[in-house]
Amino acid sequence: MKNLREQAAERAFLLSALASCAITAGILVFMVLMGLPLLREGGFLALLLNSWEPYRGAFGVLPMVAGTLAISLLSLLVAFPLSLGCSFLTSGIAPKPLRGPLRRIIELMTGIPTVIYGFVGIFLLVPLIREFFRHGSGMCVLTAALVLGVMISPTMTLFFCDAFDRIPSSYLKAADALGAGRAQKLIHVMLPTAKKGILNGVILALGRAVGDTLIALMLAGNSARVPESVMDPARTLTAHIALVIAADYESPEFRSIFTCGVVLYLSTMVMTFLVRYLARRGEGNI
Amino acid sequence: MKRGILEKLTVWFSWAAGLTLLSAVSVLLGYLLLKGHEALNPALIFGETPPLRALLLRERVFDGLFPAVAGTLVLITLSIAWAIPVGISTGIYLAEYAGGRVKRALDAFFDVLAGIPSIVVGLFGFASAVFLHRHFSERIGPCLLISSIALSFLVLPYIIRTTQAALEGIPRDIRLTALALGATRLQNIFLVLLPKSLSGIMSGIVLAIGRCAEDTAVIMLTGAVASAGLPRSLLSQYEALPFHIYYISSQYSDPAELTRGYGASILLLFLCAALFSAAYGIRKGLTHFTLYRP
Amino acid sequence: MKKVSLLQTALAVSVLVLACSPAFCGSLDTFKGEKGVLKISGGTAHIPVMKDAAQQVMAANPGIQITIAGGGSGVGIKQVGEGLVDIGNTGRKPTGDEIARYNLKLFQWAVDGVAPVVNPKNKVKKLTKTQLMDIFAGKIDNWKALGGTDRKINLYTRDEASGTREVFWEKGLDKGAISPSAHVVVSNGAMKTAVAQDPYGIGYVSVGHIDRTVAPVALDGVVPTIETVRKGTYKIARGLFSNTKGEPAGLKKKFLDFLYTPDGMKIIEKHGFIPVR
Repeated sequence: MKNLREQAAERAFLLSALASCAITAGILVFMVLMGLPLLREGGFLALLLNSWEPYRGAFGVLPMVAGTLAISLLSLLVAFPLSLGCSFLTSGIAPKPLRGPLRRIIELMTGIPTVIYGFVGIFLLVPLIREFFRHGSGMCVLTAALVLGVMISPTMTLFFCDAFDRIPSSYLKAADALGAGRAQKLIHVMLPTAKKGILNGVILALGRAVGDTLIALMLAGNSARVPESVMDPARTLTAHIALVIAADYESPEFRSIFTCGVVLYLSTMVMTFLVRYLARRGEGNI
Repeated sequence: MKRGILEKLTVWFSWAAGLTLLSAVSVLLGYLLLKGHEALNPALIFGETPPLRALLLRERVFDGLFPAVAGTLVLITLSIAWAIPVGISTGIYLAEYAGGRVKRALDAFFDVLAGIPSIVVGLFGFASAVFLHRHFSERIGPCLLISSIALSFLVLPYIIRTTQAALEGIPRDIRLTALALGATRLQNIFLVLLPKSLSGIMSGIVLAIGRCAEDTAVIMLTGAVASAGLPRSLLSQYEALPFHIYYISSQYSDPAELTRGYGASILLLFLCAALFSAAYGIRKGLTHFTLYRP
Repeated sequence: MKKVSLLQTALAVSVLVLACSPAFCGSLDTFKGEKGVLKISGGTAHIPVMKDAAQQVMAANPGIQITIAGGGSGVGIKQVGEGLVDIGNTGRKPTGDEIARYNLKLFQWAVDGVAPVVNPKNKVKKLTKTQLMDIFAGKIDNWKALGGTDRKINLYTRDEASGTREVFWEKGLDKGAISPSAHVVVSNGAMKTAVAQDPYGIGYVSVGHIDRTVAPVALDGVVPTIETVRKGTYKIARGLFSNTKGEPAGLKKKFLDFLYTPDGMKIIEKHGFIPVR
């Protein structure tokens, strides 16, 4: 015998939830719609594999896909060891009184705005890379990847720490009871158990790296060609959107940014589902 | 023997990683402070206009950060205003009403929403603005309204997740007590559950505020411009602090402007650090307050 | 300090002019009592002049708000055509197509040039046109080949919406190719900053924007300065236009007229361009 107000409230909450879902789906739908003329003419695959030469009528996004892959994967390479090591510290290796403050410092680090990483990167790191390697302008895949790696490390570290926290304490107590030292406990008990959580963290951090705009926009040079080495400038899908947004609304160039948007959306969606799938599999195990 | 080496290496590795990360970030902060500390005075914000007159809106500020700071503050307020009702209601629905498959489906949607790159949200906002401009009203274009709505989409997942987690974290006995005494579900939610999870919800809101303060990708596509003065109306373009920093970094016209850019970065950093610490403090403080109040 | 004296000069000039010719109002007086919002976007070369002019107008009249955005000439045309802004600035003359499509009215208020620039530390300060074309096409890729240091040439170019790019490509490169490995920057200001920070870079920028942080490159013997542009010896010249959709009225018209007044022309000259009637 639910009273009217109850029902109304429940409907209201449901409506909010549905609205939020609608927004999520709506974003994808809108972008597909706006990019449609280009998709129809070119075919989605052609777009993906063509290079970007607007003066010759080629509006493909391959160089940008390559740029995104190069910069994000390289940044993961930088961030993974840093994050793993830091999470080890916070979860076992550092002496007990240090662990709490360490974790709080890392949490604070996640709040540093991206634009500031880019700002300092331009003035501090770019000239350094240019002079150290004696090659190029300093604005290249390497610079962007280094800064991006440092930016996603605190977030990745927190994901790993969460994974370690979720280990049942009985495992840890058992290891202690058997006389394991800090590092032994970490390597032989904690790491294998938290494997899924660590993979989880890596995928989520990759998502953040792929979705970042400013660092690549400010530090990677934005050239529209597939980068041939880490010292080459490159453009990511995200930076491409920021650069071309300024152009003519009906031009094929403009529509190409919706293709970028669709690629970005779909790739982060795939990563999200992958994480959820792995999590469900994991639940079956423990 | 071998085992000992592996352990030693692990310890070394961990400390090396920790120190590298900490020093990288310290270098970043130190560099900013070094280059920007001389810019840290009222002139940074108010330029050559006397601060009091600027604050009372009697005189315009041209060479200072005041319009950008004001723009950011207004933007944050609006975005949070849109996001809170929808976010909290959705969180309540997820925690209290949804079951089984519906919950899993909704969960999936919000995970996807949380993962969408900010520039894609900005692109959506921009495209919507153009669409509305063409088909609804000539007066709508990229502006404060569109920016704040787009930004609210960005932070919606934060609020939904923290509300859901906070509500679900309430122990079973507290959940059932009011119901056992005859309260309706709604009364239970509003009189017992929400107040108990307030600290969690609040810290989620503060995190969302922090996200709004630092975001650049969304606003640069939906209405932030290089020069606009104080935001006049919802349909006007505006300045914002992170966009201002980005703009200066790529096109500063003289060393004074660059120093202002460093100053602006320090300001933004303090703002985000303060918000973050506030979130932490709220979580700790409210918990302490609610648990230890007699 | 600068702003106050400029305002004072402007006011002094207005008073003088008022005293000399009764039919002439002080240029900022026409804005008296005006209220409203003026949205400007487009060419990035115009921004310093726009900002200065807007500041003067706004300082004298708190009821007016003027917002200025960049984006490049392409954006200026599109946005004014769509009605998203009131005035769209371009660094090139809009094509007949664009004028017809959006019913644009053109107002040219300055003459400017587009010059290749390098870092002041670079020894190479003069090039022939063929060399310039080869550099931007990527055929010459080391400064060594031009008498400079043994380092790769870093190319900087503008985004596709740029009028500056359009003019440079047409008149400076004779529509030759620009290498796809060039770094892309989004405005004249950004180009200047990029080349000023890169000792091995080369780019192109509005002549009015050139200051001590970048060095102009002499093309076929002619050093690009605003003087050589005015005299016509430096060939890569272009007009700075402000365009509206249809005949401008009200605040728009007053702002555009302001650019043709002596105060307006003073601002234009101050920022390194040649004012045009």
